[in-house]
Formats: sequence, structure tokens, C-alpha cells
Amino acid sequence: MLSEPLIERLTETPLFAVGLTLAAYLLGMALFRRLKQPPWLPGILMAALLLAGFLAISGIHYTAYQDGAAWLSVLLGPATVALGMPLYQQLPRIRELWRPLAICLPISASLAAFYAVGIAKLMGASDHVMASLAAKSVTAPIAIGITEQLGGSVALLMGALLITGVAAIAFVSLVARVMKIRDERLIGFALGLNGHALGTVRAFEIGPTAGAFASLGMSLTGIFTALLLPLAWRLLGG
Amino acid sequence: MAALSGFLWLISFWLIGEVVVYFTVLPVSSGVIGMLLLCITLALRGGVPESVACAAQPLIALLAMLIMPGVVGVFFIAGELVGQWTAILVGLVLGTLLSVVTTLWLMQRLMRGHHAE
Repeated sequence: MLSEPLIERLTETPLFAVGLTLAAYLLGMALFRRLKQPPWLPGILMAALLLAGFLAISGIHYTAYQDGAAWLSVLLGPATVALGMPLYQQLPRIRELWRPLAICLPISASLAAFYAVGIAKLMGASDHVMASLAAKSVTAPIAIGITEQLGGSVALLMGALLITGVAAIAFVSLVARVMKIRDERLIGFALGLNGHALGTVRAFEIGPTAGAFASLGMSLTGIFTALLLPLAWRLLGG
Repeated sequence: MAALSGFLWLISFWLIGEVVVYFTVLPVSSGVIGMLLLCITLALRGGVPESVACAAQPLIALLAMLIMPGVVGVFFIAGELVGQWTAILVGLVLGTLLSVVTTLWLMQRLMRGHHAE
């Protein structure tokens, strides 16, 4: 527990929140490497746990932290724009396989959202919860925008992204083994489409082809969902 | 300095996205519009200028860190979602399993046809 006046002094500028985030991130990533990169416990989850633990123990309010950390979060805007660069670099690969991709992507990306929202609805989740889960397979900077449009909780979405990413990594390797799929392009695309940035990071560990197709799956899912999900949501009166 | 002018490019595209969203009332985030416009611009230009690469690469590498302040928030709303956690977890895990199976099955079938041509 830090004393109230000290907390007030420290959180006067955003530097404390920014420093805390950088420290937790670097520590989480170092721990991740030390533990030999377990796929079920990504470094970002460890970093978030460290940060949440520190806030809880020191008695700093999450809102006070968030105010300062907004100085980092604002960079998500230009970072999303930056994704246009890998997208451009993959245009030749998109053209090569445009037909299977053009058929598979809309179906899979729609179902990724539909399965989760449908199951949650059947189990009695509230509208607010469903709006927070709908973008669960979309890369974070795009998913945040979508969730704000739908009126969901960004905090819950972030948790959903984490769970989805970890689950997608585990399930893709499992299902690919059962279905005897060894094509890196296919495994990578499935990882990026379902497991957004976390799946893409995993795909780059498998190989460069898997990684390229994962980034492709991730960008296309992001764009497709961003363009159509808010419209579909509005039409369905969600 | 290259990274700085590249960063200005990224911010400009994001701001153009804001303007587009303001006038068209599209239900899309300005970042996505900016991303598409950047991709189109690069395609028309036929290459990635070094300044844009200098700014874009580190930003993309830091994506995970930029979303961390938000991820931390989920631990502080846990109490508000009492009674919904089972629905949330089953929806996410089972939903992801189903969509992974769908994607792999669909792509396998479609790509088989693709190679046969």
C-alpha cells in the first residue's frame, strides 16, 4: 500500500502509468522467454497479471492508471494504420489464392463471431456481454473500434481476445493433426483468422509462410469484420 | 528522422480516416479506413517508402504492449460480470473450436479444388 498523497503525486503526470506499463511488458516478455515460451500462457497475459497485481497491492485505482496509460493507447490509431503496410506487401499472395480466400474468409470470419455470440446467447449472456464478445477474433486495435460501435465493454473484449487467441493456437494444432493437414499456408491462415495477433505470432514460430498467411488472415478478418459486423448488428437490432 | 516523417504519414492517414468517418457516418473505425487508404496508396506508388517502414515496423511490433492497459481492465470488471462467466468462457472456447474446424475444413476443400485447376 502506498500512501494517498504519494499516489496522488506520482499519478499527476502520465509518466508513472507509462513507466509501469513498459516495466510490466518487458518483465512479462522476459518471464515468457525464461519459461520457454509456453503457448497457453502468452507473455502479454503475464505482463497484464503483473500490472494488475501491482495496482491491486499498491492501492492505485485502475481509472487513475488508465488516465495516464491513455498516452500509450492513443498510439493504437497510427498502429492500426501501420497494418496497411504488411497488407500491401501480401497483395501478390492474396491474388495467387484469391478464390479460396474470397470464399472462405467471409464465411469463417462471420462464423467466428456468430458461434461465440450464439453460444453465449443460448447460455443467457446479456446484450452488453454479447456486444463485447462479437469481435473476439479480430486484432485488438480494430476490435476496440468495433466494440465501441456495438456498445460493448472494451475491458471484457480484451479478456475475450486473450482467451480466444490462446484457444485458437491450441485448437489449430490439435485439429490440423486430427485432419492430417500439414500445409503451412492453411495452418497459418486459420491461426490468423481465428487467433488474431496471438495466432499470428505463433504462426511465425511455425515458419515464414505460415506467418505471412496468418498476417493475411488477420488483416482480412479485421477489415471484413470492421466493415460488416456493425452493420449486421444494427440490422439484427442487437 | 525518417521514422518521424513516417510517423507523420501514419497520423495523417488516421486523421483522414477521421474525416471520412465524420462525413460518411460509416460504422468503421478511422484506423481501419486509414489502413485501407495506406494500402491503396502504397499499391499506387508501387513500394513502401523507407520512412513509412521505419515508423510502421516498430509500431506493429509494439501492438501487444499498446493494448495492455485495456487488458488489465478486465481484472477490475470481474465483479460486474458475476453469473455470466460460464457463458463467456464456453462461448469463447467452444466458439473458437467450432470456427477453427470450419476454417480448416473449408480451406482444405477449396484449396484442393484450386490445385486441381
